[in-house]
Amino acid sequence: MADQVTLKIDGDVVSVPAGTLIVDAAKSVSNDIPVFCYHPKLDPVGMCRMCLVEVGTPLRDRESGEPELDEHGDQKINWMPKLQTACTVPVSAGMRVRTATQQVTRARKDVVEFLLTSHPLDCPVCDKGGECPLQNLTMSHGSGESRYLFDEKIQLQKRVPLGELIFLDRERCIQCARCTRFQDELVGEPVIGFDKRGRALQIVTFSEPGFDSHFSGNTTDICPVGALTTADFRFGARPWEMQHTPSICPHCTVGCNTHLNTRRSGMVGGTVIKRVMPRQNEKVNEIWLCDKGRFGHHFAGSSDRLTVPLVRKDGRTIEQSWEHVLPLVAAKLAAADGEVAGIAGERLSNEDLFCFQTLVEGLGGRTMQWPGRMGGGDLVQQVGVGAGTDLAQLGAETVILVVASDLAEEAPLWWFKVRQAATKAGATLNKHPASLVVANARDTKLDRYANHIVRYSYGDEVQTVQALTHAISGDGAGIETGIDAQHNPLLSEVARAIEAAENMIIIYGSEGLDFSGSGALAQACANLLIASGHVGGVGNGLLPVWPSNNTQGAWDMGVRPAGMSVSEFTSGAKVVLLAGADPVGDGESLPEDAFVVISELFKTDTASRADVVLPAQAFVEREGSYTSGDRRVQRFYPALPALGDAMPDWNIFVRLTALLGLGTVPAGAGAVMRQIAADVPRYDGISYERLADVEEQWPHVGGRDSYYGGTAFENSAGLGLQTPTLAEMGHQVQPGNVEPPSVESGEFLVVPITLLYDRGSMLLRSKIMHQRLPEPYIELNVVDAERAGVGAGDRVALRVNGHDWEMATRVSTSPPEGVILFPRSLAGPLLPRTMVASLRKLES
Amino acid sequence: MTPKEMVVTLRDRYADEIETILERYPAEQKRSAVMPLIFMAQREEGYITGSAIDEIAELLDIASTQVVSIVGFYTLFYANPGGMHRIQICTDLPCALRGADEFAEQVCENLGVKLGETTDDGQFTVEAVMCLAACDKAPMFQVQNSSGLTYYECQSADDVNVLVKELRTSPDDLDETVSG
Ligand code: SF4
Ligand code: SF4
Ligand code: FES
Ligand code: FES
Repeated sequence: MADQVTLKIDGDVVSVPAGTLIVDAAKSVSNDIPVFCYHPKLDPVGMCRMCLVEVGTPLRDRESGEPELDEHGDQKINWMPKLQTACTVPVSAGMRVRTATQQVTRARKDVVEFLLTSHPLDCPVCDKGGECPLQNLTMSHGSGESRYLFDEKIQLQKRVPLGELIFLDRERCIQCARCTRFQDELVGEPVIGFDKRGRALQIVTFSEPGFDSHFSGNTTDICPVGALTTADFRFGARPWEMQHTPSICPHCTVGCNTHLNTRRSGMVGGTVIKRVMPRQNEKVNEIWLCDKGRFGHHFAGSSDRLTVPLVRKDGRTIEQSWEHVLPLVAAKLAAADGEVAGIAGERLSNEDLFCFQTLVEGLGGRTMQWPGRMGGGDLVQQVGVGAGTDLAQLGAETVILVVASDLAEEAPLWWFKVRQAATKAGATLNKHPASLVVANARDTKLDRYANHIVRYSYGDEVQTVQALTHAISGDGAGIETGIDAQHNPLLSEVARAIEAAENMIIIYGSEGLDFSGSGALAQACANLLIASGHVGGVGNGLLPVWPSNNTQGAWDMGVRPAGMSVSEFTSGAKVVLLAGADPVGDGESLPEDAFVVISELFKTDTASRADVVLPAQAFVEREGSYTSGDRRVQRFYPALPALGDAMPDWNIFVRLTALLGLGTVPAGAGAVMRQIAADVPRYDGISYERLADVEEQWPHVGGRDSYYGGTAFENSAGLGLQTPTLAEMGHQVQPGNVEPPSVESGEFLVVPITLLYDRGSMLLRSKIMHQRLPEPYIELNVVDAERAGVGAGDRVALRVNGHDWEMATRVSTSPPEGVILFPRSLAGPLLPRTMVASLRKLES
Repeated sequence: MTPKEMVVTLRDRYADEIETILERYPAEQKRSAVMPLIFMAQREEGYITGSAIDEIAELLDIASTQVVSIVGFYTLFYANPGGMHRIQICTDLPCALRGADEFAEQVCENLGVKLGETTDDGQFTVEAVMCLAACDKAPMFQVQNSSGLTYYECQSADDVNVLVKELRTSPDDLDETVSG
């Protein structure tokens, strides 16, 4: 920990870590020094001069080094002749700062006036109006009257698209460089920048597409004026008209904390989500969101939602009331004699999954997680990453190993934080980066920040990790599978780094692996952590890159992958009960003679095949909780009124449970959580009340202080709680047996990969994102492309499993030779795993 | 991603020069070569084309936007085509106090253009620029053209007329000069 430094700001004695800037020190005692260009997450630049203060240091006797005293025995202070920028000057012992003198007040007034000389002051039509730092600071520090004539202001373009997601109003920009520094320092993608200088200075983008970054929306939060706005919210509402509801992003396993801003819409005729904003949770998403989380909310309000229960009768679907339909389903379930196959999706809330599991178990049936393509949930429960770990804060004492995952596409905020740990860019007192090892079969965006890049062939994931374990545990013989760390300089270097490190986190994914393969990888990783003693503490353990937001919750609630196809799983079932799962749409089939019941948001392919379709509420219409990959249980709250007759999934299942005489109906989602706490291991002690607990977060953002951290919202609704792992509870966790998966061979191996921007049902309903969603494509190595006679942009027929799929081709050096990268959820087959394929060029 | 299609690349034309420039900087700091590379690209067309920007970015492994920022920051780099001779008049405060504004106005009037514009024959562009560090010799300007930069200090509008006559190439010589 850095040494503490004590200084005096106005009348307050303040103690802060060495290296702290005056502006932050003042903030810690609620002395709000106004800033524009300063942002507590970014390196200071001192560009706007709004934060000027008087600074003095104690005079010392040159000979003795002792502080000089005046006649009253007080320390003599050497006041600097000019005002200093509080955002660039670090504190020092005995320093004195004056922030309320006439000189300071005058300086603030002048800077505001200067900024306003070329600012349009079109607050009445500005999206930022009402939560605008410039507006607020002008009110509190500016002059009441303008000395400038309107005609003297420069007039510039007011609608400059920086790509189709973010718009720039050139007149409003005050040139603080917060947006460009965010992209450069915190994202490492300087795709927006300053062009020209002086008054002519403007923000430009030269990337293709414009402002090409997964994090672009954040710049609109930290822009201290209305210069940057999102296409989604532009002219959408005034900040003070909207309702605020805390929520959780449903798009990936990170579980970013959000704020849903809603308002009645005359056009739609009901309440709608106007925008999704970050809600501060430093250990999860800090004050950021990725653009998928920010702009991908439209599925919830989509007009094709199911609103009434549907029953198939004589080949026709008819609408029914719950009073009719639930007893019908209950009767079918009762008559099934335990031959009930339950299939539940990984996006459902914990409450839904728990009630689903309870119902099916009570009937003597079996459940399956869908798609359930990734293994290792049980190992995460044993040796998952230590509670309280903040990835971004990891430093030199830690090795972070990322394996079989393209983190930037699969868990954007974790990528952001891991990059942060590995670069220590932006504002941080700890300048000693963690050491990062990225092990993948191909290039990924994270490679750029890696200390060691390990390349293996698809199929060798498990053996690569095993080789590291062998190297560390001193089993010098290497292993039979052919990957031997002792004779591989790179692997032995990595092994040495692991040995030298105090802490280690392994972030594992499932690229190139199916359920059992990724399960084996998880076991191999757990063994490595156990062998090197890195379990059970902060900064140590296993972190899964789950394919969905609540996969961990599904594991915890007992809804696990079955490790078999749906037809195998449902064979012999009299009733198939599905919730938020669309196996038919993914190419699976359900038994002809089974009675199929499904609860869903949309009329999916599976819903079309079902005998009974039950409309479920979207997460924004109800309460519930999700468990993220770091086992953090987090609550979300209802932001919109229920749609039609739709019900929360859990409510549907408990009603059926009650009708069948298997249990009673709990009073609400909170009561379900109490049952979970009683029944589910490691959830004891978790309650909605405790999930709503908050602690103070640094930096202080939100509310009145929007000038300091931007328009991210303060977290007053709960930081969530992490369930303890067995290792944390003091159990001795033993390494397990690993069975490396077998590898297929053929002309080409097609490997499904994950893209953040896919054409899945959730993102496709956000029109605003459409231009960023690629057409279905495959990616080939240049060498293979040449051999197969295809070039970039050519259309090809990809033959897998006896079917041809038409795709566009991309050619690069990223995929290994002999491998076709095949992004999931664009179109074409849902490949359960790596498969053999062939390729044919289509004539255009 | 596919590399951008480029007709004639800087690499085709100046392979050796690019290499020499890159050699001056350590490999992990090659972004430092951005200034000489932009300067080289400007020599080609008199301004920096979009494809040159992309190519420099690619060569140095930085974002195109970063190259644009640098081109935009320096008054000696041009993102748009202009006249063969750029007359760059300092109108910063000290020069303004010595009448640079009126001077610039007269120069423009004599050439029949506004600030920032190019004469119809494509030969002269008049621009207002920031301090050129000759404040005590105002009005002053510099001329930027294919032979480099030349300072002209303590100038009058008549002096400029004389200079313009000297510099103005007759239409007959024009082709040769442009291609040379
Ligand atoms: S657009 Fe906003 S954040 Fe970016 S420089 Fe201008 S005022 Fe600052
Ligand atoms: S990183 Fe994941 S959880 Fe966070 S906003 Fe993006 S998709 Fe949502
Ligand atoms: S100079 Fe300190 S906030 Fe801008
Ligand atoms: S102000 Fe014109 S040269 Fe300095």
